[in-house]
Amino acid sequence: MNAPLLVSAVDVRRRYGEGDAAVDALDGVTVGFPEGRFTAIMGPSGSGKSTLMHILAGLDRPTSGSVVVDGVELGSLDDKKLTQLRRDKFGFIFQFFNLLPVLTAEENITLPLKIAGKKPDKEWLDELIAAVGLSDRRSHRPSQLSGGQQQRVAVARALLTKPAVVFADEPTGNLDSKAGDEVLQMLRRAADDYGQTVVMVTHDPHAAAVADHIVVLVDGKVVRETPAGAADEVVELMKAVA
Amino acid sequence: MLAISLRGMAARKLRTILTAIAVVLGVALISGTYILTDTIDRQFDSIFQTATKGVDVSVTSKKEFNTDNGTNPPAFAQGLVDQTRRVPGVQKAEGGVFDNGTIVGNNGKKVNGNNGAPNFITNPRQTPFDPFRYVSGHAPTANNEIAIDSFTAKKQHWHVGSTVRVGGEGPTQPYTVVGVAKFGDASSLAGAAIAVMPLDQAQRVLDKVGRVDDISIQAAPGVSADALVPKVQQTLGNSVTVRTGADQAKQDAKDTKQGLSFIKTLLLVFAGVALFVGAFMIFNSFSITIAQRTRELSMLRTVGASRRQVLGSVLGEATVMGFVAATIGLFLGIALAGGLKALFKAVGADIPGGGTVLQSRTIIVSLLVGTLVTVVASLSPAIRATRIQPIEGVREGAVLPPTRFSRLKTPIGGVTLALGVGLMALALFGGNTGSAVWLPLLFGVIFVFIGTAMFSSRLVRPIASLVGRPIESLRGVTGQLARENATRNTSRTASTAAALMIGLALVSGVTIFAAGLRHSVNSAIDKSVHAGVVVENKDGWSNIPAAAGQQIGKLNGVDAASPIRRSQAQVAGVSGTPDVTGIDPGTLRGVYNIEWKKGGDQSLQTLDGDGALVSDSWSKSKGRGVGDKIAITTQNGKHATFTIKGTYKNNVHFLGDISVTNETLAEVAQVTQDEYVFVGLKPGANAGAVKAQAAQILDRQYPTAEAVTKSGFKKEQTKWIGQISAFFYVLLSLSVIVSLFGIVNTLVLAIYERTRELGLLRAVGTSRRQVKRIVRYESVITAMIGAICGTVLGVFFAVILSRPLASEGFELSFPVGTLVILLILAGLAGVLAAITPARRAAKLNVLEALAYE
Repeated sequence: MNAPLLVSAVDVRRRYGEGDAAVDALDGVTVGFPEGRFTAIMGPSGSGKSTLMHILAGLDRPTSGSVVVDGVELGSLDDKKLTQLRRDKFGFIFQFFNLLPVLTAEENITLPLKIAGKKPDKEWLDELIAAVGLSDRRSHRPSQLSGGQQQRVAVARALLTKPAVVFADEPTGNLDSKAGDEVLQMLRRAADDYGQTVVMVTHDPHAAAVADHIVVLVDGKVVRETPAGAADEVVELMKAVA
Repeated sequence: MLAISLRGMAARKLRTILTAIAVVLGVALISGTYILTDTIDRQFDSIFQTATKGVDVSVTSKKEFNTDNGTNPPAFAQGLVDQTRRVPGVQKAEGGVFDNGTIVGNNGKKVNGNNGAPNFITNPRQTPFDPFRYVSGHAPTANNEIAIDSFTAKKQHWHVGSTVRVGGEGPTQPYTVVGVAKFGDASSLAGAAIAVMPLDQAQRVLDKVGRVDDISIQAAPGVSADALVPKVQQTLGNSVTVRTGADQAKQDAKDTKQGLSFIKTLLLVFAGVALFVGAFMIFNSFSITIAQRTRELSMLRTVGASRRQVLGSVLGEATVMGFVAATIGLFLGIALAGGLKALFKAVGADIPGGGTVLQSRTIIVSLLVGTLVTVVASLSPAIRATRIQPIEGVREGAVLPPTRFSRLKTPIGGVTLALGVGLMALALFGGNTGSAVWLPLLFGVIFVFIGTAMFSSRLVRPIASLVGRPIESLRGVTGQLARENATRNTSRTASTAAALMIGLALVSGVTIFAAGLRHSVNSAIDKSVHAGVVVENKDGWSNIPAAAGQQIGKLNGVDAASPIRRSQAQVAGVSGTPDVTGIDPGTLRGVYNIEWKKGGDQSLQTLDGDGALVSDSWSKSKGRGVGDKIAITTQNGKHATFTIKGTYKNNVHFLGDISVTNETLAEVAQVTQDEYVFVGLKPGANAGAVKAQAAQILDRQYPTAEAVTKSGFKKEQTKWIGQISAFFYVLLSLSVIVSLFGIVNTLVLAIYERTRELGLLRAVGTSRRQVKRIVRYESVITAMIGAICGTVLGVFFAVILSRPLASEGFELSFPVGTLVILLILAGLAGVLAAITPARRAAKLNVLEALAYE
């Protein structure tokens, strides 16, 4: 609780459209994410949780408000610098279409490093691949991997650069419960063993229960912040805020 | 169904336009060619009608056949004009001369340049035969007066009172312009310059004293032209041809248009190439778009559309697209006709006047061909579209269901390729002529292209590695992604590259062939010509007065001047119109090295008046050897028989297929002027000095001729190769541009397909610049695949086309440097093609690309 805030958003608003047709996806969100903590952002559909994550991750710009990540004010960065930030400091896991079909699993994992023109640390790479359980499938292409395996490749990719933050958007949304559990456990281990800060958007209470902390959004506003409990408690929590 | 298709087409405007551009450009070239040549044809028709206006009956020298270089048979005696006047029914008869001359322009050189439109000298005619309408001044009457055609007068800023130098073969003299004339309604004779001077002066200048080229006859009232013709013919005898004025006009127009028809065919061939390339583009484009519409089409099938309806909708889309594109192309052709006109002007054929002739044939052919090509090219993708099953999952990067034959594609490609090679071999080595050569050759080339295109999908991976690995090692992951993207769908990449392959095969083929021509001519000159100085016409092929060579032969340092003359003849019982060269047996040996096959230098002494030497290739192909007799007919209808005394290897036609002595040629064919004079130098003489002295004599007295050293001779004789190559390149560039649009189109479509991937790349930190590079390198790789395959094909074409010519002295030469430059240019073209698609890819909004809902 006393860890410094790695990511902080202050009064972030995001409006789409103008005048009468305007929609406020985020209506003044102030929230912080301490270093090394695994946070889940939850909320009903249309609550703005994905929008919030996009803005925190530098994929979108807020209409107003400020976002500071690892000491850098995102609003002060141009597109080029934001791109570099994403490359060097963030890791991404999306719900689907995470991988490039023309690259092997290993090449997908090292992609952000290669884009930066750097060479991967071989030991760290091997360790990660082993950690996600894909040592014998390194040179397979995504078409030869199951959905769960593909997501694990995405996890390894997100962790390889030892980013400041890993952003995960509904990472288990497309997986069966077993594969989903494996992915969540890896994210859990990333936070525990590697001290990785993880921000995960999910609507699945089961997934949220794996995190340390839950932020609940409704209609573009933060309505609750609470340490995560068991899945049942999370379900109750969601019922309460609906 | 069609409505859904069409609305979809409108929605994807950019893609539709890019696909259709190929058809537009190809059809534009067809329609432009027809419009231009029809306009020129009509001009010539009008010119010759004007020339024979008022002429009821026309008498000209007998012409048995048309020569390649358009020479006319010699003039006939002026006394025939008097004979004509005595024929009953002839009201009026007038003789006239009309021949090439030199009019000196303001820049001191021949008007229109040495290789441009000709300069003519003629005399004024009395009414009713006078075709000239004077816009200022009047017809010349004194011997120092001339009239000039109004087109030339305007270009040179001449008017009544100007002084202009004019000459025939001899030195030019100054004349005063007393009139500026139009030829009927035309300001000129299709760009040729005309100087009109009184008959006897013209006869002196043209060295035709006492002779005329034609007689114009007006029939007495009540006498029909047709009735008069046989009477005049009977009176004048067989050395002249008598026709009605109308027939003469038709014949003259026909002869002139013969030369034009070759150009028309050539231009249409280039248009065909552009459309052929376009067909590949359309095939590709339709394949991709239909693959993307899999979901939509499968839904249509689900709600009950039959396969035939799907087929009809796709073909209907193709028909509409083809028709609209053809229409646009038809009208673009009008502008293109103007462009072609400018192209011709650049090589000296300045055709004045406008009037665009749009015949219904042009409209029909343009629309039909454009629509047909589009529909045929879309046939295969259309059929595959019918195989889409009603319920089909949506997958990213969906491809059309494969055809029944797709597994056999490579072997079928191989077979087609082999068939094409076989057809080409049949055409070139089958010993046939005429259409038995062109038709199989054309189909052979087409099959070779199609076969290679089908086969080339196997070559995509290896070539992409070859080109891609260096990029990868230089640029890392962007290069790798580019290479992987290019090889994802090898048949699509191959199909895209195939369009460029065609253009580059033809360009490299032309390049290699031209290099071979140049090499062969130079090598032939090196081997055969020992003269230190050569005297020739400034334009490189016309004749020069015999006196020029004779005078130069008397210069210090000159051992002997050996003239070569040329004519054409027909040989009884044998096809073709071979060249007949006149040689001087006494002096030829010293300046020219004859490669004897049968006989030797001593055979030269046996020629006399009835002996001939023939080329080995002619002898073999026509089956006439040493000891055989050949009966020849000259252009003027004279007959002569020769006995073959020896055969020689013909090096690039410096000697004709048949050679006789100069005296014999003068007697039989009335050729009294030289084509070249090979000047042999005494040992120790300086070629440069002799050349300078010769030049002095020529400038003063024989300004149409020039003296060159042996290396100058080489340059003169190979100049035309560069000019024609450039002409070919310009026309082929149209096809190359079409194929580049094809690459642009495929890339744009591919980027649309890979939107999500691009979004992912940008999300994980790929910069916009890096995204652009990925697209650019993929384009370069695709272009290089086409270029490399094309160059290999070009080498093949050049080699196979040169085989039959080897016996004529053609030696292959590979301009490796130029070919490398072509490959580099192809790579640059890939960069160019990538500009728009790369920009699109880089501009993608990350979130939209990742398709968040």
